Amino acid sequence: MSTAPTGDPPVRVAVASGGGGMGLGKELREPPSDGVSSLRFSKHSDRLLVSSWDKTVRLYDAEANVPRGVFMHAASVLGCCFHDDSSGFSASADNTVRRLAFSSGGNYFLVRHDAAVSCVEYSYSTGQVITGSWDKTIMCWDPRGVNGTSHHTLVGTHNQPERVYSLSVSGYNLVVATAGRHVNVYDLRSMSRPEQQRESPLRYQTRCVQCYPNGTGFALGSVEGRVAMEFYDQSESAPYKKYSFKCHRVPEDGETKVYPVNAISFHPVHGTFATGGCDRFVNLWDGANRRKLFQFPRYPSSIAALSFSRDGRLLAVASSYTYEEGDIPHPPDAIFIRDVNEVQVKPRPKITFTDPPSVASPSV
Amino acid sequence: MGKKKKRVEKVFCYYCDREFDDEKILVQHQKAKHFKCHVCHKKLSTAGGMAIHVLQVHKESVTKVPNAKPERESTEIEIFGMQGIPPDVLAAHYGEEEDPSSKVAKVEVPSLRPPVMPNPAGMVYPPRPAYGVAPPMYNPALNPLMARPPIWPAPPPQPWFTQPVVSVPQMASGLAPQQPLFPIQNMPAPMTSAPANLLQTSFPMAHVGVPSPVTPQVSQPLFPVSTSAGNGAVSSPYVASVAPGSIPTSSPSVAPAGVGYAATNQGTGGPAAVPPPASNNKAPATQPGANEVYLVWDDEAMSMEERRLSLPKYQVHDETSQVSSDFYNFISVILMICEKNQVEVHGDALNWNIV
Repeated sequence: MSTAPTGDPPVRVAVASGGGGMGLGKELREPPSDGVSSLRFSKHSDRLLVSSWDKTVRLYDAEANVPRGVFMHAASVLGCCFHDDSSGFSASADNTVRRLAFSSGGNYFLVRHDAAVSCVEYSYSTGQVITGSWDKTIMCWDPRGVNGTSHHTLVGTHNQPERVYSLSVSGYNLVVATAGRHVNVYDLRSMSRPEQQRESPLRYQTRCVQCYPNGTGFALGSVEGRVAMEFYDQSESAPYKKYSFKCHRVPEDGETKVYPVNAISFHPVHGTFATGGCDRFVNLWDGANRRKLFQFPRYPSSIAALSFSRDGRLLAVASSYTYEEGDIPHPPDAIFIRDVNEVQVKPRPKITFTDPPSVASPSV
Repeated sequence: MGKKKKRVEKVFCYYCDREFDDEKILVQHQKAKHFKCHVCHKKLSTAGGMAIHVLQVHKESVTKVPNAKPERESTEIEIFGMQGIPPDVLAAHYGEEEDPSSKVAKVEVPSLRPPVMPNPAGMVYPPRPAYGVAPPMYNPALNPLMARPPIWPAPPPQPWFTQPVVSVPQMASGLAPQQPLFPIQNMPAPMTSAPANLLQTSFPMAHVGVPSPVTPQVSQPLFPVSTSAGNGAVSSPYVASVAPGSIPTSSPSVAPAGVGYAATNQGTGGPAAVPPPASNNKAPATQPGANEVYLVWDDEAMSMEERRLSLPKYQVHDETSQVSSDFYNFISVILMICEKNQVEVHGDALNWNIV
């Protein structure tokens, strides 16, 4: 159980569904009335931004479990991100990208795509908003001067081979994952053409992409219950070796049910990461040492989104049915805030042997 | 001779199940028989290291540990002596009841695996019933075994290997570095024990409860085909990666990657136990569990969000209707203008004819 913060309003703690002492975390009050599409912690505080299929974006104080604002949209919101602690951005199915002013509760039109906007990211390195859409383009915008006016500066539009499904930004690196399993890697300082035009090593549709915090590569999650660990350096002498592993598979009635990997979130301090799938499990992994660290008790519904807080102390889990099996009755959509146990997220190097294994160096 | 020794004190090779009195000899055996490069005969310390060596130096890919049992030839599990062996394999091995018969069977087995089916089946059969019965009893025993450093008494000289007196201090020195490793191993042990129980509960037939519809005669020729197909399926994703020898596979219900592989290996072990009728019932039930994979989302052309947005309640209605109404108004205006022009033109024509 998570401890209620002192001096704050009383917190409603969800009853643990399994594993003595290992609960699901505290449930946020006033969750969205429909599915959660995206959720993001701020880089400056413990505020949480949540976009939903109920056409709202909601702002929470996750630590205090207090809702801070609701921003209505004309259609379902597919993505959201923070600009700073006073504003954020939303990507909507009505083809618009909007700027959300937290203090005034305002909702300002920013830009429009030709189809639904699936994801939005803010680059702290370049100060640009990057949006990906199902119109097969990504756009970069300068959000300055938007406040109260309709002025904005389009920095560039870049065509993609297919509909954009997921974006991730780390430093100057931008990774775009599209339908057809395409992966384009850009340097945000020179967007004229992709730095790398790659194809996903996973043989099924890409669900999500997330850059490593250390800027050496990215992780891809697919609908086939598999995660690929990729690196920008693709030369033969690269120090890292890319690999992929199976996850989010549940044996049922003599067969193995393979669930999509919906979310990947990296711990900002340790570099380990959490994955969430439609099997309702959240797993912790040590990518560097190729180990599974921990598995949380099963959540009531599919894991739609995950986000670590800026210092890694909290993990937000969206337990929200993602319609992977059609429009069927499902548990209520909920958001849980977990206190992260340091032992669970620390990397765990493999046990060293008594005689260190000697690997022959390659000789030409 | 063998009866005098306690079973738990004997170490064994994970790959070929041979037993040894000394772990150092076991390590030497593994390096000589299982971790040796088949091209240059260099002895390496681990299966993964050997696979990487063969790949980088000789440009060949090795996906199977040589001279290993069919279900234990994976290079992904890092074995070094007794370290790294999955708990269920330990339980299956130490659960053997007939020590002399198993010992005799192991002595008879040559280094090259015979192609005859009954022999591997006979080998696999002894641990099978013990595995079903013994694992819950041996699990608490294994934990103190792992936690407590084993004490190796001076063994009598074996007929095939004369152990010099000098080796005794080597054993003592060998124990010293091993001792600090045990606290490290204690950390993952409680994590692995619970998943191991989950794995074991899934194995007994009583829980599966699936009767065998296939007759023994029909099932027997199918196993080699399915086994090779399984191997082919397993190897293809590894080839796609740069380092196939170092790819781990972990399932969500099992904590360490090694146990995940052990589960897969146990599944493939089912076909090997065809002749016994009891095992025959297990094999077809185990095999579909190991091979049958069902994708929850199999629509490659459309994402889950795209599908969801096509549902009526998520349709973007307002904008579409507004646009269409504007268009309709525009068309109406155009039509009115056209009608007016035609009337005027007609009038002009009539006037001209009269003049």
